[in-house]
Amino acid sequence: MSTESQNIRELFENWILDAETKMQEEDLVSNMKNYLLSQHSEICGKCAPCRDGVIRMEKLLDQYLDGTATLKTLKELEQVTYNLRASRCSVGLDIGKNFEVVLENNYNVLYNPVKKY
Amino acid sequence: MAKITINGTQLKVKKGTTILKAAESLGYKIPTLCFMEEINEIGFCRVCVVEVEGEQDLVSSCNTEVANGMVIETESEKVLNARKTTLALLASRHRFDCWRCPKDGSCEFYDLLKENDVVFEEFGPGIGRNPEQIFGTGISQDQSKCVLCKRCVAVCNEVVTAKVLKFRDEDGTNPTVSPTVGLEFDDAGCIFCGQCTKVCPTGTLHETDHIQKVQALLRDKNKGVYVQVAPAVRASLAEEFGYPIGTPVRETQGKMYRALELLGFDTVTDTNWAADLTIMEEGTELIKRIQTNGQLPLFTSCCPAWVRYAELYRPEYLENLSSAKSPHMMQGSLIKHYYGPKYANQKPENIAVVSIMPCTAKKYEISRPEMEVDGVRDIDAVLTVRELAKMIKRAGIDFRRLEDATVDNPLAQFTGAGTIFGASGGVTEAALRTVYEVLEGSELPGIEYHDVRGATFNSYEGTIKEATINLKKTGMKLNVAVVHGGAAIKRMFEILDSGKKQYHFIEFMACPGGCVNGGGMPITNDLSVAEVVKLRAQSLYDQDAQDMEYRKSHDNPAIQKVYAEFLQEANSPEAHKYCHTHYTQKAFTKE
Repeated sequence: MSTESQNIRELFENWILDAETKMQEEDLVSNMKNYLLSQHSEICGKCAPCRDGVIRMEKLLDQYLDGTATLKTLKELEQVTYNLRASRCSVGLDIGKNFEVVLENNYNVLYNPVKKY
Repeated sequence: MAKITINGTQLKVKKGTTILKAAESLGYKIPTLCFMEEINEIGFCRVCVVEVEGEQDLVSSCNTEVANGMVIETESEKVLNARKTTLALLASRHRFDCWRCPKDGSCEFYDLLKENDVVFEEFGPGIGRNPEQIFGTGISQDQSKCVLCKRCVAVCNEVVTAKVLKFRDEDGTNPTVSPTVGLEFDDAGCIFCGQCTKVCPTGTLHETDHIQKVQALLRDKNKGVYVQVAPAVRASLAEEFGYPIGTPVRETQGKMYRALELLGFDTVTDTNWAADLTIMEEGTELIKRIQTNGQLPLFTSCCPAWVRYAELYRPEYLENLSSAKSPHMMQGSLIKHYYGPKYANQKPENIAVVSIMPCTAKKYEISRPEMEVDGVRDIDAVLTVRELAKMIKRAGIDFRRLEDATVDNPLAQFTGAGTIFGASGGVTEAALRTVYEVLEGSELPGIEYHDVRGATFNSYEGTIKEATINLKKTGMKLNVAVVHGGAAIKRMFEILDSGKKQYHFIEFMACPGGCVNGGGMPITNDLSVAEVVKLRAQSLYDQDAQDMEYRKSHDNPAIQKVYAEFLQEANSPEAHKYCHTHYTQKAFTKE
């Protein structure tokens, strides 16, 4: 695993342990995406929630980065994240659990740009 | 025994039972996609997940065994959401052009999306996981539709044993299923049995399309287009139009002939005729080999997937193969060189012959370079039963309302022996009816030879059935065997290699259950393979027993006539020219 991805992992550990670590939307989203990219080498490709879920999550995060995200994007991100609980092995389960915590701790950061009044 | 609770109902089940089976015993059918009992219990698709009390995550029911005290929810909100999301994820990487999909109406994936009310929003429908198309003369693959269930890999490895298809997960986020990378099916050692096309829950693996070729032939005014129908087709075509499996052949055969006429074929013939001819040729070959101490056992050569298996994997046994062509090749050759010129004033090159077959390997067989006489190809196109049904539907023909047609062409006159070719053991039984009579001078006692029909059947392991016929006159014991399914073929070769048993005649079929379970047959998800095979075979045996005037190939007047007018006698030089072929070792690239 590269040094870069180790940093990402550390960052996630911090997020999980310390709900106080806050980021701006762009930093948060690009870090979330980098974390997912760092997991590619771990994904075995066997079960659908992890294999196809991670790819889908990356696409949803891209929508945040290019400014096309909507409330649906966030809803789907949550849906696919929780679906990782149906994964076959700990790679998918871990990604899911980490993302669940990140979503919980940073929900407002992701919600603000897509909320509708 | 384990005491468990499923959706609030307590029950006792054997330890070692999976949650899926336990739920089934209560009447709950948990949806599955990748699951195939015994050979693919891998939990890849996660469609069958359930909630187990005390477990943090959802578990797959297909490969999780019950434990005492387990409390299981199969329809909780969490389960339903997971199921829907997983299906939507799979759909997001599946190409949806259902209206032109080869699976047309029998797609399990489509049914699952429908049953679970999967909503596409941002998810899809997708344009496909991988745009690659892999071609083969018998079967092809469209990877844009693959859902990576691995069922085809399991069947190719465990049932067929050719091990051509592999799950390639070097890139975990974009795995593929394919034959050797960079190769087409023809070069990768595929035998084209088509069993993978039957288990594929989408249209990823499918028969190579010949419909367009046939439509072009039908439009060609300079060609007389003949069609022939294989024995097993009559036992299954009607299923595509809502008839129950096992419907008596007499109720649907006439409609099938009529539909073929309406599609525009100039002359309808029946491969059952050539099945009778095959018995004459193959039976005579057996008798000659016995009488002249020739190469024994004689292997049948009706199944092109089996012939290809021998050519690719066991070339040392090629001399044992009967040199007789498969029935539809003989029929094609004789339509073009005997019937057409003699009775219809047509030149061989102005005749086209289309075969309706239960088999995808027949598409490969017609492309074999040796399958021609005097530079004229024996057969021009092969349609599977599924393809024919599609053509009938496209033409707007209401199959159920069709009037029966009778076909009086001599090349459509057949006996009961010809019709039972479609069931495994049928070739042997038909051969015995003739060979016994020739060697013994009397009829085979109790013309139906049940020993080779077999009561046991395992769709995964295949089956070997053996029988010994006492020939009193010659004092000889004729040992025959019927082998169907790739795994059984492998086992039979182990027996032959060891030299422990001596056989005179072995019938080989690549598909478990024979042609009635061929790779080109209609797909049925409601019944097990064993039940389907039994019902379809029974309808052929019933036609033989109840509807046929003649039940032995050598009694067929149309066969006697072709020998009198054209072939002279079985195994004559003329017969060899039109009805026999040869085999050579085939190469493929090993991975």
